[in-house]
Amino acid sequence: MTYPSGPQDNAPKQSKTKKVKTTKVVNGIEQEVEIEVEDVAGPEWGPRAALKVLDKELIRVDAPVKVSGRAVYTHDVRVPGMAWARLLLAPQPATKITKLDFSACSKVPGYLGHVVIEAEETRWLGQPVAAVAGATSEAAEDALRAIVLEYEALPFVLDRDSALKPDAPKVSRRGNQSKPQTRGDEAKAKAAIEAAPHKASGTYSVPVVHHACLETHGAVVDWRGGEEATVYCSSQHTFGFAGDAAKTLDLKSSAVTGIVEHMGGGFGSKFGFGQEGDAAAKLSKLLQRPVHLMLTRKDEFLMGGNRSGSHLELAGGMDANGALVGFTARAHKQGGIGDGSLSGLPYIYKCAEAWTEVSGVRTNMDSSRAMRAPGHPQASFATESLLDELAYAAGLDLVAVRKANLEDKVWHRQLDRVAKEIGWFEHPHRTQPGNAKAELCTGIGFAISRWGGGGGPACEVEVAIERDGSVTSSVGSQDLGTGVRTYVAAIPAEELGLPLSAVVARIGSTRLGNANGSGGSVTTASLAPAVKDAAYNARRAFAEVLAPLLGCAAAEVQFADGGVQTSAPGGKRLTWKQACAALPEAGLRAKGVWAAHLQGNGIHGAQAAKVEVDTLTGRVRVLHMVCMQDVGLCLNRAATRSQINGGMVQALGYALLEERVVDTALGLQLNPCLEDYKLPHSLEIPKMTVILDDEDTRGVIGVSEAPIVPGGAAIANAIHNACGARIRSLPCTPDKVLIALGKVS
Amino acid sequence: MKSFTLINPTTLDGALEALVQAMDRRGRSKAALLAGGQDLLTELKEHLAEPEKVVNLKNVPGLATIQVDGTLLRIGALASIEAIESHPIIRERAPALAEAAATIASPQIRSVGTIGGNLCQRPRCWYYRLEEAKCIKKGGAECFSYSGRNKYNAIFGGGPSYIVHPSDMATALTTLDAQVVILSPKGTQTLPIERFFTLPSEGSVLKETVLKPDEIVVEVQVPLDALSQHSAWSKFKERASYDWALSSVCVAVVKDGSTVKRARVTLGGVAPIPWRVPAVEALLVGKSLDEATIAAACEEALRGAEPLSENGYKIPLTKGLLTRVLRSLA
Amino acid sequence: MSSQPGHPPEGLFPEPTRRDVLRTSATAAATGMVVPAMVSAQQTQATAPSTGAMETLQGEVAVELNVNGKNMALKVEPRTTLLDALRNRANPPLTGAKLVCDRGNCGACTMIVDDKLVYACLQLAVDMRGKRIRTVEGLSSSEGASNTAQLSPLQQSFCEHDASMCGFCTSGFVMAITHCLERKPDASLDDIKSACAGNACRCGTQPHIFEAALAIAKGGAK
Repeated sequence: MTYPSGPQDNAPKQSKTKKVKTTKVVNGIEQEVEIEVEDVAGPEWGPRAALKVLDKELIRVDAPVKVSGRAVYTHDVRVPGMAWARLLLAPQPATKITKLDFSACSKVPGYLGHVVIEAEETRWLGQPVAAVAGATSEAAEDALRAIVLEYEALPFVLDRDSALKPDAPKVSRRGNQSKPQTRGDEAKAKAAIEAAPHKASGTYSVPVVHHACLETHGAVVDWRGGEEATVYCSSQHTFGFAGDAAKTLDLKSSAVTGIVEHMGGGFGSKFGFGQEGDAAAKLSKLLQRPVHLMLTRKDEFLMGGNRSGSHLELAGGMDANGALVGFTARAHKQGGIGDGSLSGLPYIYKCAEAWTEVSGVRTNMDSSRAMRAPGHPQASFATESLLDELAYAAGLDLVAVRKANLEDKVWHRQLDRVAKEIGWFEHPHRTQPGNAKAELCTGIGFAISRWGGGGGPACEVEVAIERDGSVTSSVGSQDLGTGVRTYVAAIPAEELGLPLSAVVARIGSTRLGNANGSGGSVTTASLAPAVKDAAYNARRAFAEVLAPLLGCAAAEVQFADGGVQTSAPGGKRLTWKQACAALPEAGLRAKGVWAAHLQGNGIHGAQAAKVEVDTLTGRVRVLHMVCMQDVGLCLNRAATRSQINGGMVQALGYALLEERVVDTALGLQLNPCLEDYKLPHSLEIPKMTVILDDEDTRGVIGVSEAPIVPGGAAIANAIHNACGARIRSLPCTPDKVLIALGKVS
Repeated sequence: MKSFTLINPTTLDGALEALVQAMDRRGRSKAALLAGGQDLLTELKEHLAEPEKVVNLKNVPGLATIQVDGTLLRIGALASIEAIESHPIIRERAPALAEAAATIASPQIRSVGTIGGNLCQRPRCWYYRLEEAKCIKKGGAECFSYSGRNKYNAIFGGGPSYIVHPSDMATALTTLDAQVVILSPKGTQTLPIERFFTLPSEGSVLKETVLKPDEIVVEVQVPLDALSQHSAWSKFKERASYDWALSSVCVAVVKDGSTVKRARVTLGGVAPIPWRVPAVEALLVGKSLDEATIAAACEEALRGAEPLSENGYKIPLTKGLLTRVLRSLA
Repeated sequence: MSSQPGHPPEGLFPEPTRRDVLRTSATAAATGMVVPAMVSAQQTQATAPSTGAMETLQGEVAVELNVNGKNMALKVEPRTTLLDALRNRANPPLTGAKLVCDRGNCGACTMIVDDKLVYACLQLAVDMRGKRIRTVEGLSSSEGASNTAQLSPLQQSFCEHDASMCGFCTSGFVMAITHCLERKPDASLDDIKSACAGNACRCGTQPHIFEAALAIAKGGAK
């Protein structure tokens, strides 16, 4: 057994009592009371075979409002008196501002006011300088263009080579390179490579890429001059911005409600109020009216975040059995004015002697932010590519080589399965790449992933059962498209023996219970156990109420099939409505907190990609992508599959299309638009196969990030496998394929 | 967009009048013509153009018809790309034009984008499209692509600007020996399409066509004959779903048995104008389209290409496209 | 030919009729300075417009737009796009179509206008007078019931196939595929992919979108 130990499905129940806190209405007043209940192991997911709602193909509870256009996102919020705001961004990478003049704005019909964000100096391209508000979106733009900004263009660097030159202009006070972090023994690693029968080396690079969330960053600060305010923000953390807004508005934090009812994608870029939210709050304070400030698409590319690029010089040595015996890596992270991120190297695979040196090389561009598995796709691409090169040098099967460097047998099983699904065993090029003699060549590539996905105590959930039979499950968490809202309803439905439709989920407001932000794939493992605990407590408390009606002990009350009954033979059964009628007028409320045993930590993942390379034109068509992923207990199989598909689609974009293009002399991003920053659209989408690893019987684990990691590496490897064209710099655009094939002189 | 006055003429005379009124004595115009708007509106949103007046052609009746007069296909300038792509006579008798139309942009653009707008659209070069880059095409001193990021720029005919012309239909229409009918206050003029587009070294670098500010393209005419019948198109996009041409090829041939009697060959996405290659046409005449001829034709087609630092791939790419198109016509 | 504001003349986006296509007319003989017969013929057939009568719009303009079968009075500027008009100036606002790129690159603003699939961000609102505008809100009805709208079969299929994650692209895809299936009820996977090639999804819902669409196409029932 290779999974870390988790809850056993069939733990025997203890037969003693314990005290449990719940809210009960006593003499018309809701209060927290302690009741004595039979002491079982606490909430348990129970045997999977017995689940009626969870681990099934659920329809998202918010799907109807999304497909009908009725879901209201921050961008869509319209409140009376709302002003429209725009940001003025620094047009060059480094500027000394000499004039920032708003006098022409007052001549613009509809201009309402402005705030200055930065008056002296800017240090990265797109840095916000000011914000301006208008009565209509058109007036805001007119006012924006009426601002006079004059500056002295300061020296800047926008690329790694220039930044590293000894006489390079300093990007920031911290200098142009972070202190290199080293790990391992360089001499030993080099010696191991030298002694190895098979060697490979190369320089790998991945560009800066963007989150490209469809809903840009921004907020609506709804303050009308009174004691309270509501702030809508496109955010990955409901509780992450209202406090900042309160400070700016000079209100008590308890008087400001933060709302994330729906949000149009984050992928790691939307934590905190941001300079855009801050500007909206400042304008609202100034104007004493609501302010809507959403970044334009160009703003979003310049300042909405990015995944750091990487430049990696790798070398490796492999023995005759395929073991990685030596590995060296010198890496430069490229995170703009920030430090960037890069996961450990070699990525996942064990290596006897590995040495790495990693530093961040800084430039005058916006800092990278977390982006879905920060630092991992970069490390994966480089490591998996080198591994294939070593495997070919050794003449070994690409799957066997991977298994030879992985102790954990879960990956072995997953690799074997994806290999089967992608057609590996029928494929002619398993130890050597194909050649480019044919015009159309087919190739297969592999890569693996690893993630934590465990959670912690952060969420406070409440489940309420009303006398009329309605059930509400409430917590302030946010749903980024991950399906949170659905399992916030589904878990109590399962617990109470109800269909999903019987439970209403309320999320996305700071008026509800606390929740952590959706980053690091911690949400499911933090939130779902708390929802379960709340549902469990509600059930136990309800059982106490129903026991006398059913003429049995509380522990014998069963909730199933939309009703309640007793486990005793020949027992009574009540419908759900009948049971709820027994509740006091104020219903029943129970709270839940995190329970460690309901979640797990540590997932794997294996992917394969099959591509067709047209050696005449350099076109790469991805034909098929396969992923096998362990996820612990899957709450909603449809949503989990969507997450995994989504990770593979994003990886495809990373592999074939996406990069931030910069003119390092002019100091401009050349593709701050969805025309020239190319996302995969429908014709790029291959056949996708997702296999959920049902051998994983652990509790809930977060799966958001693992699926995006390996796809890029698998595709790049597949291209090489098809025709021998090794591309070491993403994206693998047709020009690079033709160059790698030696067709461009 | 900057505020503008929208003028909705209902006759061509009215449209011309509005254009004339918007011109100053030096012939500069404060007006822009609006057809489908799929390019103009993007220009206005980027502030590449800030016309005081926008003259809308969509309320002038009769500009969008597609009809055949004998052997002449007459396409009104306001005919939509979708109408051209799906037109049964075009599909049958000038298939390269229908194929080219089908590869343009996306369904949403093709449904309302017009052939006139498609021919008159401005370039996609990212320096041109960025307001902050004062490039030569916008009155600046220099073409930034030349020593900058030029993956999508020209390998033929470049200098002083290195844009590629973005119109797919222009490439196909060049092969099909089309003519453009232009209306001006002086009357009507019919020009071979090759005289409609101008190289940056020959015309004003600020424009891509000969069209003056008081002129309107009203019709495109295509001869329907054995040449147009045997025409083929290929467009290579970096992103298959929705993209401009990295390179494109349009070939039309008349054969006697397997021998080529007449050929017209045009390359797209490689030059500031549709790049007709008479040398290849001459090479093909009298030969059959076997692999040796095709290989020779590809060499000839790309002879003299002057790649920039990042667009040399267009040479093998274009050869690959031409190879496949010639094979399809063999 | 009428030129009143609000009632634009016939022939906006005119479709060639079969008669137009096959019609022959006397060939213009001379080269050069001949007005094409087709154009001048059309002009004389049209109701003669009054000389100099050209609608000129500037500043704030009151327009009436027909949206999802209802007439809607709006104040817009000539530069106001159809997207901004419905999202920002309509009362109540129609925010189903989204502003994502504002350049016709991503399809999140897709609407159907007179049976044509369009990017609403690249249409001027004033140009939409007299046209039948359909937005995603018009595909379903939510009369009465609070949460549950009566969804179209395609919308219901989107729900059933988990074709929506963050949901920001969903309206655009629903419109593009609705349009495709209205024209071709038995659309193939290739037809569906082509129909939404102008739509971006960052969450990567496309595989499920295709399944949702194919379920309706193969089902056939409308």
